Amino acid sequence: MTQDRRKQKTGLGRPRNIATLLSIIFPGLGQFYNRRIFKGILLLIIAVSFLITTWHYIDIGLWGLFTLGTIPREHHSIQLLIQGLISLIILGFGIAIYFFNIKDARHDAIHREEDKKKPSFLRGVINFYDRGFPYFMILPGLMMLLFVVVLPLLFMVSLAFTNYNQYNSPPRKLLDWVGMDNFQALLNVGIWQDTFLSVFTWTIVWTVVATTLQIALGLFLALLVNDKRIKFKRALRTVLILPWAVPAFVSILIFSALFNPTFGAINRDILSQFNVMIPWLSDPFWAKTALIMIQTWLGFPFVFALFTGVLQSVPADMYEAADVDGGTRFQKLRFITLPHVLFATAPLLIMQYAGNFNNFNIIYLFNEGNPAVRGQNAGGTDILISWVYKLTFETNNYNMAAAITIIMGLIISIFAFFQFRKTASFKEEGRY
Amino acid sequence: MKKWLGTIFCMMLLIGILAACGPDETKSTKNDSDKDGEKASEEMPEKPEKLTLWVNAEEKQEKAVKQITNKYTEKTGIDVEMVPINMLDQVEKLNVEGPAGNGPDIIFQPHDRIGDLVLRGLVAPVSLGDKKSEYTDTALQAVQYDGDYWGYPAVIETYAMYYNKSLVDEAPKTMEDLMAIAERDTKPAEDKFGFLMEAANFYFVYPFFSGNGAYVFSNEDGKYDISDIGLANEGAIEGGKLVKSWFENGYVPQDLTPDIMNGLFKEGKVSTVINGPWMVREYGDALGDDLATAPLPLLENGDNPKPFVGVKSYMLSYYSENPEWAEDLMAFITNKENSMTYYDIAGELPARNDSLKDPVIADDPIYSAFAEQTKHGVPMPSVPAMQQVWDPINDALSFISKGEPVEPVLKEAVKIIGNQIEASGATTK
Repeated sequence: MTQDRRKQKTGLGRPRNIATLLSIIFPGLGQFYNRRIFKGILLLIIAVSFLITTWHYIDIGLWGLFTLGTIPREHHSIQLLIQGLISLIILGFGIAIYFFNIKDARHDAIHREEDKKKPSFLRGVINFYDRGFPYFMILPGLMMLLFVVVLPLLFMVSLAFTNYNQYNSPPRKLLDWVGMDNFQALLNVGIWQDTFLSVFTWTIVWTVVATTLQIALGLFLALLVNDKRIKFKRALRTVLILPWAVPAFVSILIFSALFNPTFGAINRDILSQFNVMIPWLSDPFWAKTALIMIQTWLGFPFVFALFTGVLQSVPADMYEAADVDGGTRFQKLRFITLPHVLFATAPLLIMQYAGNFNNFNIIYLFNEGNPAVRGQNAGGTDILISWVYKLTFETNNYNMAAAITIIMGLIISIFAFFQFRKTASFKEEGRY
Repeated sequence: MKKWLGTIFCMMLLIGILAACGPDETKSTKNDSDKDGEKASEEMPEKPEKLTLWVNAEEKQEKAVKQITNKYTEKTGIDVEMVPINMLDQVEKLNVEGPAGNGPDIIFQPHDRIGDLVLRGLVAPVSLGDKKSEYTDTALQAVQYDGDYWGYPAVIETYAMYYNKSLVDEAPKTMEDLMAIAERDTKPAEDKFGFLMEAANFYFVYPFFSGNGAYVFSNEDGKYDISDIGLANEGAIEGGKLVKSWFENGYVPQDLTPDIMNGLFKEGKVSTVINGPWMVREYGDALGDDLATAPLPLLENGDNPKPFVGVKSYMLSYYSENPEWAEDLMAFITNKENSMTYYDIAGELPARNDSLKDPVIADDPIYSAFAEQTKHGVPMPSVPAMQQVWDPINDALSFISKGEPVEPVLKEAVKIIGNQIEASGATTK
């Protein structure tokens, strides 16, 4: 009966709407209306102190984010940009509290409408402890994440939409938002267009070929060494892990010397026996070949170690059962070994692809992306990451570098997405 | 549904209000011009308690500067705080620390970064005053940008020719002599070479271009015109052909890296190399008394090759609160006496006329050649556009080393340089 009467009361007069409205006007008011005095005071204090401490900072920050400063010298666009981004994050927290306050007021008002008993203060604390505790515990981590990971990312993304380059850099000049201009330049302006396409395609080829080769070699050797008939397993494993043990940058520099067409050992001592001289460093095709061979050599030990570990855990009785059923060696490999090994390692293998996509070290240390190619402003073996490095530090095109980085980031996120969403080992934990 | 619309509307209103407010600073309190103008007041302002100086983080240089600044403190009573920061990192650091108010008064930079520093507005011009004539003309030209002077020249450096006395009796005087040595001593099969240099590196190749009349950017009254690039003119083509002939005759191998070149020279297998004074110690340790230096040989047209000269100088931070005293300190560090102290300890040539004539340097068997060579040098252009030059022109040299025709390759390089300068945001007049 009573409930029915209350339900007829619609519109703004309804308690739940009054509470909501009061909370929208100022946090805490709705709670007072609900006679949850303590909660109201708490929210009021939080809201007031939030406004007092951050109002000025957020005010300047948002203003700076929109305008990037108006007076050169006085306003440092980069600092304003960072302050603006921090303001956004802080504002996000503020808005979260605000929404919590509104939701809470409405929720309590509905409770009152339905004549449910107002929970005691202790009850409320216990409820909060039960439901909110996990969130409370991850809050410090979340804060860290926001400022250590998200903020720099946002900063980089923002730069891609400014005109920050050598001739337009703070503090003397102010930056401006230029929208999608940089991305358009990447596709339309001659020197960017030609270079971007050839660098991008080579990056893809490099990633796929080099990584697949290193995985294939690692898998092949792991299967070989794991065979029952092989002796001196331990010694063999040690030898095969060795390329991993030497720091990569040392090996790469040594390889760079070995591959030198005139003075390097590969041409001079090995290939010269067959009267072959290959221009390893000066011909783009051969430089690419050399890079892929080196990366295969550097990368296979990790994959090998990974597979060796997993192979040990494949239960022997499965093979015995296969023997009983008359399975061939190939069938055993195809239906027992490979599924085991690949399911368990898929995420790591995908990350190998992502790693090679951004494998700056090898490209830069081997020959700095050279040899030069006529008509483009990146070298013949430059991948996107090494090209971005050159753009940023050699020609100071910060905006273009940021734009290309965003594109790379998107591609890497695709790898990451597949790693977490599509691989069996994360989706079905404990399948094996 | 209604509630959501309402809250979103409220939020947008809130952000809108916040964004619209902004700080209440409509007029600028200081701008570029009042800093440059009217600096020539004779009266020195009150002495500050201390000056901060960023020195290159290199043991010997720090030691030398420390000794000099100690003397300054003794003389004036001003403390000098010396912060060692790698020279190449100083610009980025100043960019952050300067506006925040933690910057130094003085930084130490190679002159070719002046353009960039001025563009970013991180340094202020200095008035060299009557001390101007004490520095070498090349050094003065180097620290000049847009008609102003931006630093006190401290160190001047360029490359010259090293030769191995056990292989060559006398330093080659002309290119002809040099080519004769190259022809005589080059036996690639035994790893022996008569003449080696980084012939695909524009920095080292430049003298053979410029001696024939090439230039990077034309320069008039200390102002570079970046729309006029002289790297594909007749002189440049002449130089390019000379470089190409070294590769074609097999004097210089196509895949020479600096490591290989230095290694071979130290083993005593190379008669002559072109390199900078920073290799003196390393070469000397390996070759001992056999090591000698000479200025670059004369070109076929009888002119001196004009190498790039680099001038490291002390510059005044825009954010310095005591510019007058900072300048006083810079002048003190680069005066004759202290320059010689610096040369003694750090082994770098001072950019002063009187120091270069001083018997300590002029009669030094090794350094005198570098001192002599700086006289014929031209300063590396200090305009920011220079950064867009290196890659394309080095690429062009690498094409030339592979036997591609000189003229089209250079023309192409000049075109790319022009495009890159434009893409980097420069406004070419």
